[in-house]
Amino acid sequence: MVDSQQLREYVPVLILAAVAIAFAFGTLALSVVVGKWANRSRRTGHSTRVKDIAYECGMIPVGDGSSRLSVKFYLVAMLFILFDIEVVFLYPWAVVYKSMLVDHANLIFGSMLTFLGILFVGYIYALKKRAFEWKS
Amino acid sequence: MSYLQLLGLVAPETIVVITALVVLGLDLLILREQPLRHRFWMGAAFAAFGCVLAAAWLLFINSPTHPAGEVSGALPLLRGMFVDDGLVRLVKVALLGLTVFTIAISMESSFTGHVGEYLALILLATVGMMFLVSAEDILMIFISLELTSLSLYILTAFNKRNVKSAEAALKYFLFGGMSAAFTLFGLSLVYGLSGSTGLREIAAKLEQPALDPLLVAAIVMTVIGFGFKVAAVPFHLWAPDAYQGAPTPSAAFIASGSKVASFFVFAKVMMLGFAHAGGSGSWHAYAPGWLPVLAVVAVASMLLGNLAAIAQSNVKRLLAYSAIAHGGYALLGILANGPSGVTSLVYYVVTYGLTVLGAFGVVGLVEERAGEARISDFAGLGRREPLLAFCMMIFMLSLAGIPPLAGFFGKFYVFTAAVGGAKDLGLLWLVIFAIAMSAVSLYYYLQVLKQIYVVPVSAESGSLGAPISSRIVLAVIAFGVVALGCAPDFLVGRLLAAIKLAAL
Repeated sequence: MVDSQQLREYVPVLILAAVAIAFAFGTLALSVVVGKWANRSRRTGHSTRVKDIAYECGMIPVGDGSSRLSVKFYLVAMLFILFDIEVVFLYPWAVVYKSMLVDHANLIFGSMLTFLGILFVGYIYALKKRAFEWKS
Repeated sequence: MSYLQLLGLVAPETIVVITALVVLGLDLLILREQPLRHRFWMGAAFAAFGCVLAAAWLLFINSPTHPAGEVSGALPLLRGMFVDDGLVRLVKVALLGLTVFTIAISMESSFTGHVGEYLALILLATVGMMFLVSAEDILMIFISLELTSLSLYILTAFNKRNVKSAEAALKYFLFGGMSAAFTLFGLSLVYGLSGSTGLREIAAKLEQPALDPLLVAAIVMTVIGFGFKVAAVPFHLWAPDAYQGAPTPSAAFIASGSKVASFFVFAKVMMLGFAHAGGSGSWHAYAPGWLPVLAVVAVASMLLGNLAAIAQSNVKRLLAYSAIAHGGYALLGILANGPSGVTSLVYYVVTYGLTVLGAFGVVGLVEERAGEARISDFAGLGRREPLLAFCMMIFMLSLAGIPPLAGFFGKFYVFTAAVGGAKDLGLLWLVIFAIAMSAVSLYYYLQVLKQIYVVPVSAESGSLGAPISSRIVLAVIAFGVVALGCAPDFLVGRLLAAIKLAAL
């Protein structure tokens, strides 16, 4: 049945969603309305080219907005995340290690060993595929 | 429970994982300088060997001692996370068989130079499916579902030189990510309502006479999530593009192995997890629940799948729409909601998987020669390639459901299960609709056969020059389809016996 208490727990979520939507659309609408008014030249009444340039820390933006990056960046980023996650996973393991060592010694040790083993295969793979060499 | 015991419990999966890693290493370290064909042969032979070993383990070693299915005496952590009973074992063996055949039909392909990665991904997807079949815990189900899906996305994109392959993979990935989000949201609502992650405990907690509105939302979300996986209308949009653009063996794998695992776990979640929220889809006794939702999805799948397939000119797209329609038939097995439903569903999806694997195998050979797989590329195949044409005839007629082929008995069992599944023949309307629609489907399957046998050969097209190994593999698959059709009891008897023990 409709449990009003249960549904009431979702009210903060609803408020958050409303605020998020209002913020997203509100800023867009605000920048259109206020921007037009503020960018207008006091003398002629329309905006000028200089005033319409995107503001980037005071520098004059030059060139294309989306420049091309070498695919190596992504490769390195992915490898970083991979081994970073490995370390993140090691932390909680290390925390429970001592308490589990009493009853489930080889379980706690073996499971992490397997995990590291599989990651090691991945490391060898990346090494052999020359993913770590910047110059190709 | 010690770690070795744990490994022993998941020994088949462990074997497949190790095989995947070894295949990867073998190709990278030893076979690197060899010609492509040689690498594919060695890698495929090793991968298939691993699968056979795992299947043998499942069949002969360490047969389950706990008929109730649950791993008793295990860590409380493991309760329901990994179920190992006769039924699960049978499905896993079937999955491994389909994987072996997938590997066998990709052995001669030349779409990729990354042999080790390709085979390793197929094996990892298989591991995901095996865990999926074993899982009775929503967290485990989600993780295995993701492992399977992620591997399949990459397999779809594997033909790097083909733009269509990339497009297909992107669509599949975006739809799949969306569906995963829906599944996760639905399952999180289920967890919020019941406070547990095991399917059986969830069912016990959700035992109420009336439906909670949150439960309704959870059911709909879960159906959407799994509906994407099994390509049921209206969540089917990725299927035609993915099937057409993906390399043919990958498409065959998506259509066979992944279907089997997804349908099995779909049935499990619905029948076990939402056991008391079924409602009724009968025409004279409607009640809200997941049964009417699935009934609507099944009707839509059968209708759209079959009608859209008629208009296709590309055989891979045609098979995709036919897969959607077959998804609709298979849903009838879930709708039957009982042991006979599970039996018929497993028999149906396994035989369908085998048949569609063979059909994709023939299509792949034609595609290799013609560059595309239009229906007109099959013209005169009956005289150009008598053996392959005969195999294709068996596959097409089996998909259409002509006795004595496996497809007929699959449909027969599913339909009888659905008729008996509801009180007072309540699902009769659905079965009548399904039979009418499978009559429609005969038309487009025969269109392909007409091209093969009736349309004259054009002057420039000769034999396909298919390697002898592919012919043997396809002949074996065709033989399997005929054999499972002639002796359906071979599989059904085992399934029934296993289900009796599994208490599903």
